[in-house]
Amino acid sequence: MARLELEQLDCWYGETHAVDHITLAVEDGELCVLLGPSGCGKTSTLRMIAGFVRPADGEIYLDGRPICHLYPGDRNIAMVFQNYALYPHKTVRQHFVFPLIPTRVSRREIEQRVNEMADFLEMHDLLDRYPGELSAGQQQRVAIGRALIRRPKLFLLDEPLNNLDERLRAETRANLRRMQQELQITTVYVTHDQVEAQALADKVVVMDMGHIRQVGSPQEVYHYPADMFVAGFIGMPPMNFIACRLEWEGTQPILRNSCFSLPLRGAMAERVDSLPQGRELILGVRPEHIRVTPQPGDDTIPAEVYVLEPQSNELVLDLKMGDLILKSRGDKQELGFRPEVGQRVGIRFLQRAVHLFDKETEKRV
Amino acid sequence: MKVLKRVLGVALALFVAAVFLFPLLWVVLSSFKTKLELLSVPPKFIFTPTFQNYLNAFNSDFPMQVRNSLIIAVSSTVISIVLGSLTAYGFSRYQIKGSDFLQFWILSLRMLPAIAVVVPFYLVFRALGLLDRHIALILVYCLFNISFAVWVLKGFFDEIPLELEEAAMLDGYTPPQVFFKVALPLARPGLATTAVFCLIQSLNEFLLAVSLTTRVAETAPVGLSKVQTLMGVDWGLLSAASVLFMLPVVIFTILVRNELVRGMSFGRMK
Repeated sequence: MARLELEQLDCWYGETHAVDHITLAVEDGELCVLLGPSGCGKTSTLRMIAGFVRPADGEIYLDGRPICHLYPGDRNIAMVFQNYALYPHKTVRQHFVFPLIPTRVSRREIEQRVNEMADFLEMHDLLDRYPGELSAGQQQRVAIGRALIRRPKLFLLDEPLNNLDERLRAETRANLRRMQQELQITTVYVTHDQVEAQALADKVVVMDMGHIRQVGSPQEVYHYPADMFVAGFIGMPPMNFIACRLEWEGTQPILRNSCFSLPLRGAMAERVDSLPQGRELILGVRPEHIRVTPQPGDDTIPAEVYVLEPQSNELVLDLKMGDLILKSRGDKQELGFRPEVGQRVGIRFLQRAVHLFDKETEKRV
Repeated sequence: MKVLKRVLGVALALFVAAVFLFPLLWVVLSSFKTKLELLSVPPKFIFTPTFQNYLNAFNSDFPMQVRNSLIIAVSSTVISIVLGSLTAYGFSRYQIKGSDFLQFWILSLRMLPAIAVVVPFYLVFRALGLLDRHIALILVYCLFNISFAVWVLKGFFDEIPLELEEAAMLDGYTPPQVFFKVALPLARPGLATTAVFCLIQSLNEFLLAVSLTTRVAETAPVGLSKVQTLMGVDWGLLSAASVLFMLPVVIFTILVRNELVRGMSFGRMK
């Protein structure tokens, strides 16, 4: 269907540099998630693609054709808005017909497409209702139907699951993915929820302060975060960051701080190979990569259980290590014991899964 | 307790309504009375109605004056709604340099005391040869009505979520189509409210009407005031004429009452 390219796209809102010269390509049929905290520029980027905001600089290409100068309606792009943007005075059927009127397709074709869309969204019984008479989930399906009925080249979604409750959100997420894959439509999806990004995306674009921090598959941004921002943003609870110094004992690199000294092995050792003695580093460990044992030993780091946060089948532990609080997360069964507040435990980091960042640049080492 | 509160509330509402409606009732009753019954003490509430007052009203200049009033009020209202909604939409949706200043300037026109401009207007329209012509009053009323319309309608357009219009833009509708097919239908309560107020204002206006018209374009309020002075006061005729003159506004208000209630309560739309 379509390939989308953003080239050096730049956007200002008054004094705020909302989007700072970003370049990005979304392949044909791909679902690309723009992920980031509020104010990171993801929605501005989406609105520039749709044509509501004129970029200060740069160009957008759809199938190799520049579209920046085109009116939104001439771009062949459809969008689902966060609040769905349904017309209170139009029925569901009228919502589906509305986008087809400017395309000048025949009345029979309109009829047929409305029926197809009603089939696709399972909305036949609701065609004559007004938005006020629909549930939030149904309203959203109308918004999706209205967007897709024109068979656009590009499909934009702006935090479409925000107004749904938790249960409906998981269901709709799966539905969106099914639809997108069935239709093979190039999609740009904006969200601040990393769980959504992980579940839906072919490609995740992590944004912060108008910059793209990392582009990659959901696995890549999880396993190989490019910098501390991405590392901290992806994963729940967020990654633990521990400041350390790199020291060399002969050929053995060791990470030291006031609480522990951790000899690096294997791949980790290779990564610090070229770094000098005394280099300040940040060790990043995800909560799920901390192992806790009730018996502190030589190969563990002593810590104290500070807070217990039981989840359904998992246990989140706040561990106090010196003046640092680390979070660990693990299956209750696998833990093998019932931790209590104040209990002294030993912790171990899974070395194949820890991350090292430069303290100065915050980039991955 | 809850019931008592409700009863008290309804009683209060009825009382207030009665206070406001009693003069109206008085006028309606008077219009069906003979001269003798009109002035009888104590006043009669039950009597055989006569239609003589209405016949007299129809046989005077009054029908022509009502026609003038309606031509002027409806024209001015339509013009004000059309120009007002376009202007208000512009202020609401587009970034305009000096927008705040312009808006205040438009509002300040509404604050203009009519008495201050009667003489200048008279001179201007005399110079233009428009004295005693409908167009003169239509223009003058537009001055007041447009500024009112812009302010009320801007509030209604501001309430319409921008996304509704953006969705239509993406669907291939041009900006004018977006205005007519999305914004305007959603602002209907505002349009109805504005129209009723403009209509009432234009029908009621006296001072400018009395100074800018003499005979051909004379409006009903001016005509009615002359009934009082010419041959004593024919209260019956005056009452009948007043009742007839109220009808257009009453009918229009009933026609748009649903929109009006939503408009007056500034119903949020979602």
